[in-house]
Amino acid sequence: MFDSFLNSFPLLFAGGSFLSIITAIILGLLIGLFVGALPGLTTLMAMAIVLPISFFLDPLIGIPFLIGVYKGGIFGGSIPAILVGLPGTGASVATTFDGPALTRLGKGRKALETALYSSVIGDLSSDVVTILLIGPIALIALLIGPPELAAILFLSVLIISSTSNGSVGKNMIMLAVGLLLALIGQDPIGALSRFTFDIFELRAGIPLLPMLIGLFAIPEILLNIENKSKDFIKTKLNLKKEEKLTWNEFKKLRRTIFRSTVIGTTIGMIPGVGQVVAAFVGYAAAKNASKNPERFGKGELEGIAAPEAANNAVNGPTLVPLLTLGIPGDNITAILLGAFVAHGLRPGPQLMTEQGSLIFAIMLCMVIANVLFLIIGYITIPIFSKVVSIKKSYLLPLTIVFAFAGSFVFRHNPVDLYFLVGFGVFGYILKKLSFDVTPLVMAFILAPPLEYAFGQTMSLGDENVLKYLLLERPIATFIICITPLLTWKLWQRSKQLRQVAAETTEEQEKKT
Amino acid sequence: MNNLIKFLLISVAAFFGLVTQSQAEYPEKPITMVIPLGPGGSHDLNARVFTSIVPQYLGNAIIVKLVPGASGQTGTSMVAQAKPDGYTLLFTHNYFDQLQSHIKKLPYNPLKDFKAVARINYSAACMIVRSDSKYKTLQDLFDAAKASNGKIKMGHSGMWGATMVPLAQILSWANVNASLTPYKGGGPTMQALLAGDVEAILQFPSGVNAQGNKVRTLACGAKEKSLGNPPVLSDLGFPGQIYMDRIILAPAGTPNDRIAKLQSALVKLKDDKTFKNLMKRLGENTAYMNGPDYEKVRVENSEKYKDLVKKMTKG
Repeated sequence: MFDSFLNSFPLLFAGGSFLSIITAIILGLLIGLFVGALPGLTTLMAMAIVLPISFFLDPLIGIPFLIGVYKGGIFGGSIPAILVGLPGTGASVATTFDGPALTRLGKGRKALETALYSSVIGDLSSDVVTILLIGPIALIALLIGPPELAAILFLSVLIISSTSNGSVGKNMIMLAVGLLLALIGQDPIGALSRFTFDIFELRAGIPLLPMLIGLFAIPEILLNIENKSKDFIKTKLNLKKEEKLTWNEFKKLRRTIFRSTVIGTTIGMIPGVGQVVAAFVGYAAAKNASKNPERFGKGELEGIAAPEAANNAVNGPTLVPLLTLGIPGDNITAILLGAFVAHGLRPGPQLMTEQGSLIFAIMLCMVIANVLFLIIGYITIPIFSKVVSIKKSYLLPLTIVFAFAGSFVFRHNPVDLYFLVGFGVFGYILKKLSFDVTPLVMAFILAPPLEYAFGQTMSLGDENVLKYLLLERPIATFIICITPLLTWKLWQRSKQLRQVAAETTEEQEKKT
Repeated sequence: MNNLIKFLLISVAAFFGLVTQSQAEYPEKPITMVIPLGPGGSHDLNARVFTSIVPQYLGNAIIVKLVPGASGQTGTSMVAQAKPDGYTLLFTHNYFDQLQSHIKKLPYNPLKDFKAVARINYSAACMIVRSDSKYKTLQDLFDAAKASNGKIKMGHSGMWGATMVPLAQILSWANVNASLTPYKGGGPTMQALLAGDVEAILQFPSGVNAQGNKVRTLACGAKEKSLGNPPVLSDLGFPGQIYMDRIILAPAGTPNDRIAKLQSALVKLKDDKTFKNLMKRLGENTAYMNGPDYEKVRVENSEKYKDLVKKMTKG
């Protein structure tokens, strides 16, 4: 193993190839950044479209190029989430809690820089961990089957909803609504239609993207219109005046970034959980550990660093099942698989022994991509944060345009616009009644995989699931056993936090 | 440096190739090909390969659009409703096209609302076990299944999906029962096999190839050279072949001369070196079949599946 690692260096640096690799990665990063920043266009689509280009290139150019698109796209998605509160994917939802608030405070650039540094640190560390621990991670992937996944997903739903804002009762209602909405469409196990009322458009279920934009962006816009958009963006902000992230501010974020990186890397090792859970758990953990939890959601830099570091730290380990077992863990790695295969490299146990140095070379390319990304991000952030310097009277309508265009471009299906408007109005009403929509969205995103894994477990357990779990699935049994304990502890802690938050607001009110 | 130049040239060509072509006759603009499945699956990969080569024979680009959802129904109905002008095509497989209508009410009639342009290739479904498994032949596996009273665990890639129907078909031919667990696609199914959650799965050759000596192929639904010609079901006494056809369909009203134009471009793939090379690396064959021939297959299959579904839903 170590031999092939050392042999990977000449592959990268020999001859003139290094310059081509760098150029390929930079081009990929720019394409990804651009596509990711436009709501409605996803990294996945971008990668699928540029995949054929990689067919006709050297594997050590074509694959780094795709990796560039991948990394650029994930960060790109955070840009609209921070600046205008439009989440492009489930993974950037948690970023919209503090992003737009910071932008409104005139700290858009700081927020973007925090996102960039956290993303790069999270990603880079997880890549390094992956290179070092590729063998053990591959073993973990085989230990996690449907029963374990079901237990972990169930625990995630509980963790996230018990640490959300607002009252426990309201959160539970939102959780139930989310679960109910997720049931609409074909059931994942038997492919029978549920709650579709014979409306064909509902057979595929409710689309996530219009729902996200509807619930998160539209209510913001409506509230701003209500307030005559006084505070949407304070004034026309001058870029020169907009401050960069200071070293001291960054130092305060170190712990959060480190914690989220560990969370993200761990979650990445478990196939089938993914970025969405990582981002939310990272956010919840940061809030939990913070001395000022009441500031979260009102423009806290830690609230950006936590989800961004966590969802990027997932990237390294998710590649492991692909590289060592030849099994893609998600759609993005499936596209990378295509690129490998088109070059006659069939990822799997054999590739690792026969072409180990090439695999390590590709993983080193990921590390290089991160470093390059730091530079490109740093250069392009001022351009993106210019958005904020547009007059507020233009920005609001522009956001509406992006919300509608993004929802439509996603599937080119006009029905999605009804979903957008419907969820927009629903989200507005919920906001007025001070409901937090996070548990709803989480339940909606996690319910289908949870239901699937649960159904599989029942099927695997045949007639006696309890016996199956106890005798053959010790890991799943263990997770199920600690679930009530953990949830109770978290619930107590969040009750404390709420108390602290209430006291500080009281104090503030006294002062004013 | 050469690589760098090549890379830049190809990227530029790929971008401008989409916009510069303009001719008076069909196709005068890029053609959209809908895949009713998600990104990264075998349909996506196959399509990426041939859509990157066909333009030189067709004179315009084919743009892949992935519209997954509702077991392929979302994408399929989109094409069924599209203007039949030859600019919207569907890239699907035989189970969506010929079996699904027997299971549920669809907002379109596959056989009437579409006509076949071509079959690009097929993939034989192969029964595999772990290489340390005690089952050396298909007969061993079926004997064990009978002995277990239908409790032996097998995995497939989702209800009514591309490995579930063949699995049910084979089990029904062999007259054995098994406990079937669905997984989300071919990858997770393979993972379940390797982890020991299930005893046997069906998998397409490209997936089997990657695992090398970790798995053993017991039999395939049709001849598979890439796996070293394992036993074929029909040679083992089973009444038929089992494989998935990857097919291009067009809305039924599409003018015949346009379909002919498409076919004349697609048929040239058969002798295209790059195409053959890339497909070989994917582990896929290039068994092209022209539209009119495939129309007959569609009708035959549809009848066969009707009986199979009846049998399966009864039990």
